[in-house]
Amino acid sequence: MKSSDTTSPEPSNDERDNSQDSTIQSERFDMSSITEVPRWKRILIAIDIPIQLVRIALLVLIIWAWESRWIFKGGSPFSFLGWDYELFPEIMPLFQGVPSEALDFFQDVWNDSLFWGDFWVTLQEALLGFVIGSGSGFIVGLLLGSFRKAAKVMSPFLIFANAVPKIALAPILILWYGVDIASKVALATIIVFFIVQIPVQAAVSGVDPDLDVVATSMGATQFQKFRFVVIPGILGPLFGALRLSSIYSILAVVLGEFIVSKRGLGQRLLYETNNFGMGKAIGLITILAGLALVFNAIIGMMERRFLRWQDTEARGKVVSL
Amino acid sequence: MTNAVDIENVSLVFGGEGNNPVLAVDTINIAIPKGQFVAIVGPSGCGKTTVLNMLAGLIPPTAGSVKRNGKEVNGPSRDVGYMLARSALSPWRTALRNIEMGLQIHGIDKATRRERAHELISLLHLDGFEDSYPSQLSQGMRQRVAIARTLAIDPDLWLMDEPFGALDAQTRLTVQGEFINLWERSGESSVIFVTHDLEEAVLLADRVIVMTARPGRIKSDTIIDLPRPRVIDELRFDDKFKEAEHRIWKELRDEII
Repeated sequence: MKSSDTTSPEPSNDERDNSQDSTIQSERFDMSSITEVPRWKRILIAIDIPIQLVRIALLVLIIWAWESRWIFKGGSPFSFLGWDYELFPEIMPLFQGVPSEALDFFQDVWNDSLFWGDFWVTLQEALLGFVIGSGSGFIVGLLLGSFRKAAKVMSPFLIFANAVPKIALAPILILWYGVDIASKVALATIIVFFIVQIPVQAAVSGVDPDLDVVATSMGATQFQKFRFVVIPGILGPLFGALRLSSIYSILAVVLGEFIVSKRGLGQRLLYETNNFGMGKAIGLITILAGLALVFNAIIGMMERRFLRWQDTEARGKVVSL
Repeated sequence: MTNAVDIENVSLVFGGEGNNPVLAVDTINIAIPKGQFVAIVGPSGCGKTTVLNMLAGLIPPTAGSVKRNGKEVNGPSRDVGYMLARSALSPWRTALRNIEMGLQIHGIDKATRRERAHELISLLHLDGFEDSYPSQLSQGMRQRVAIARTLAIDPDLWLMDEPFGALDAQTRLTVQGEFINLWERSGESSVIFVTHDLEEAVLLADRVIVMTARPGRIKSDTIIDLPRPRVIDELRFDDKFKEAEHRIWKELRDEII
């Protein structure tokens, strides 16, 4: 069927004699038969309700199993068959924290300025460690990736330094920088540094050498090459490393606080655990995980902003000539 | 009047310090007057690209001298536009911002950059694709963006390294036509156009230089006396064109076969 409303520049073939030119096509596909998917439908598809429902059900199941202490006791649904077991008989009821206790803890600390003081200390340590560690890791990785000779000189030193189990340095760092935030920042910095430096250095050599030739032939300075070629070229691996290091910076400061500290969520966590405050400990761990998730989400937002061009690449939307 | 390019007794050896030094270019002499379109043809590995690299100031010759406008080349220059065989566009820049790149490196302000880039967008028929990323463009369009980026800085010497080698025959014809129009309009710009496609060389150039297989030497140097402006898709069927191509083919054949 030929649609009458299309504005085709071609003359109609109806009056032409098609007996010789059998290849000439007179039929046209009617595009008006393709209707656009409405907005609400697209949103629904994107949300994917069945997946969300299964997720919620799973979450409810986990919380129920935990709250009822079923995961500790076991209490199999097949007990009427005489088949019963206990999952974790070694965990005493006193040491089994449950979600409702954690919820009580959240309500207690919400207006507790001492708690927020500890929160701020840990946040500060993690942020400083993340910024200093990944910033220096980025710069060193960029320079060593760009200057081969310097990388050659430095590589045995860096390999050794990276091989050191960084947490073993914690007591020394506390001796050097004291029991306050500086020692925790130092520990986080050291751990995060290598998480960023190694992939950045590797990524620099992966940047398309043609782009470097083009920039050089245009008379770009070394700084301009960093700005226009190298840095945009390594953003993918860089953001991957930053995601990891944001989580590791929190891990590092909590470990540091476990060893010696006056303030901080890690210090609080150790104290509560030592006093069998399991609900409080679980609450604190949840808060620490939440903090890591927020870090990760912020980096994810930056990543989407800076790597928008990769989206188009992934979709492979090719426009032909 | 000084020549746009003087290549005098130039030789180039790769891997001099280490083992296995390779003589890539052997004592070549080329003088190119201003405004001439020269094509260099030769088998692969004959040192064509090396000659361009020396003119772009990316590598110095082992012996001899390479001059532009009478002055020795010592490093990249703002008056030279170099286009590689692969389009080498920045995947994170849109078509428009890729075209602006050279201007940005030269420190031209944003408004001027934009204006110049838009001008080239319409000259190369890329309208509507300003904000597309290279991955969203076809081969032919990417190559056009690369041409626009090369010419955006208004170079007086255009170095083109097999710019249309990756294009299919029909697209190539279109882009060649656009390219030759741009050059014919540009006035005094000189072009060195490296290709392994003899037809392309004769269609586009004023002069075709044939180089030998490694080490690269100059085998022949022929003026193509075809009128300008050229309509290249028609010129292909012209007898004078065919005759010129055949004459040079005889030279080139010895090198390839």
